[in-house]
Amino acid sequence: MRIVHLALVPFLLAAGTARAQDFLSCQLAPGWTQSEVVHSYTADNLYDYKDGGAEGYLIYGFAGMKSLNCKSGDDTLTIDVSEMSDADAAYGIFATNRDPRLPIARIGMGGQVQPQSASFAKGKYYVEIVVNSANPNMIHTAELQALVDKMARRIEGRETPPEALAWFPQENLTSAGLVPESVLGLKELKRGYVAKYKLGQAFIVLEDSPESAVAVLKNLRARFDGATDAKVGGEAFQVKAQYLDGICIFRKGRTLGGYANLPTPQEAAAQAAKLAARIP
Amino acid sequence: MKSKTSRRDFLSAGLILPVVGAGSSLGLMNLSAQTPAGSTGSARSANSPVKLSYKTLGKTGLKVTSVGMGCMITSDPSVVTRAADLGITYFDTARGYQHGNNERMVGAALGGKRKQVVLSTKTEARDKAGMAKEMDTSLSELKTDFVDVWYLHGKSSPSEIHDDMIEALQLAKQQGKARFVGISTHSNQQTLIPWMVQKGVFDVVLSAFNFSMDPAVEQAIDVAAKTGMGVVAMKVMAGGSRNQKLTQPGALLAALKWVTNHPSVATTIPSMTDMDQLDENLKAMAGPLTADDHKILAAHLEQIQPLYCRLCGKCDGACAQGLPVADVLRFLTYADGYGEFALGRERYLQMASEHVSARCGDCVECTVQCPYGVEVPKRMARAQELFA
Repeated sequence: MRIVHLALVPFLLAAGTARAQDFLSCQLAPGWTQSEVVHSYTADNLYDYKDGGAEGYLIYGFAGMKSLNCKSGDDTLTIDVSEMSDADAAYGIFATNRDPRLPIARIGMGGQVQPQSASFAKGKYYVEIVVNSANPNMIHTAELQALVDKMARRIEGRETPPEALAWFPQENLTSAGLVPESVLGLKELKRGYVAKYKLGQAFIVLEDSPESAVAVLKNLRARFDGATDAKVGGEAFQVKAQYLDGICIFRKGRTLGGYANLPTPQEAAAQAAKLAARIP
Repeated sequence: MKSKTSRRDFLSAGLILPVVGAGSSLGLMNLSAQTPAGSTGSARSANSPVKLSYKTLGKTGLKVTSVGMGCMITSDPSVVTRAADLGITYFDTARGYQHGNNERMVGAALGGKRKQVVLSTKTEARDKAGMAKEMDTSLSELKTDFVDVWYLHGKSSPSEIHDDMIEALQLAKQQGKARFVGISTHSNQQTLIPWMVQKGVFDVVLSAFNFSMDPAVEQAIDVAAKTGMGVVAMKVMAGGSRNQKLTQPGALLAALKWVTNHPSVATTIPSMTDMDQLDENLKAMAGPLTADDHKILAAHLEQIQPLYCRLCGKCDGACAQGLPVADVLRFLTYADGYGEFALGRERYLQMASEHVSARCGDCVECTVQCPYGVEVPKRMARAQELFA
């Protein structure tokens, strides 16, 4: 038994914040009516709904999801609202799932509206909306835009992307987001922000303390043969590695940052220096 | 085919399974040889030789490493590229993963190695036209002319699979867009897989399968393999449920080895996010399941046995008061296992009123005997105490 009525489910939203029925309602979309009771999912049964895709939610600290189906004629509108561990994680899953070829709109912390789907993150909530239309060529952009605007106004929480994303140099930036574990495919860099550029990628990892950042940098350096010192931040190294190409990793206080996948370590160090200068 | 209890007895006894299924072979790869000329640095974790074991994916004839790669949560393409360089030959993604971004990443990461590996993806579309459209998008994103295996994504019942979906699969094969087709499934495999075998149009099944599952799933998988269906296992490192993670040192590797050494399973697709996980998982191909591995897994089963309902359904109708035992145990898991008391309680209260008001203490003796050792009377009484 997986179906639960919305009014009976208090777990998704914490006390003191907006109630789910304030923003998870077909009434926010004129012409659409609720066709089923609201479905609730936890980490335990998200596989029942998202199949293997559930892992992509769990890795971002998934706490729960409510799913609402609305109907208009033969068309259905599905609204999924996921509660993540924190606002950064909500932005992280949005950034991972968004279409990187399209710009991010100012909806909550960020959002995208397409002809048959929309998504945005606000506070610790990640919202996905999909229209399944009898006519797959039908354009629903305007009504989806109106719906997400109404929902975003009703959801409480942070409206700005993670602060660290603003530290990345913006020139030639193609996308940026949160990687929940193993930044650059390296387990030492547990959770951090990654910016993709037309050439190469940059990262920022916030450690708990300068001491822990020192230890991580030491472990990282030990991983790479042939690493040499670089003059970036408080301490840094650069190296040419097989899968990360030219790479430079530095520490500035408790922050680790760097560039990878550039043609040479020297170019990585030059870019890393620009990044380090932008970190407070 | 093994009896339902033999595998568990076998595991508990700490005996050793055959190394790999018939037809498997071992290859030796020195990872240190992977550093390209001209590069001055390499991931140090890659400086050890690793044996690769290969199996045949049923009647498809595809040769696959017994450890493949599930790319779903991999964020950095370097991990996929390195896995291919190290010799892993099976890579799995899906149209729906990261709203299509995962396919794009995998396609870019495999690059020129695409035709040296077996590549699978999946579709969630539910009609012929939708599936055809998704296939074309998948091929475009994966930068390839064909996929080796194309799955219907996440089915748990034959009723979810319509004739036009099967037609779309067959059409993709005829058009050369998919070499082989199958279904991925997370639940109810004991019903779905025999139906797939009977239907005779599916080449491969991708199934959740691990050492802690109901033996009925294993039986279904054994039958499928014997008929020539290729079997790919996923969720191989699950240990019951989210809160029953394998925490003992060596447990994850033991769980992976349990599946890679299973004679009916051709390959597995553990998720990997970093180079160290990749190196660790490769070890599963280096040798047999050892007595120590058996002990680790048996200890885990022993630990979860009194609590973990496998939803096998064998208790259906067994309660003298007519209680839906498996449902109640599941609701209790929400509260005890996941800290979701409110959710557990509300689902409990949605049961028929006579079930909500029933008390196990009214029975002198419990008529439910769990074949896996779940302490049913104790767990049911706890649920009634918590929720009623």
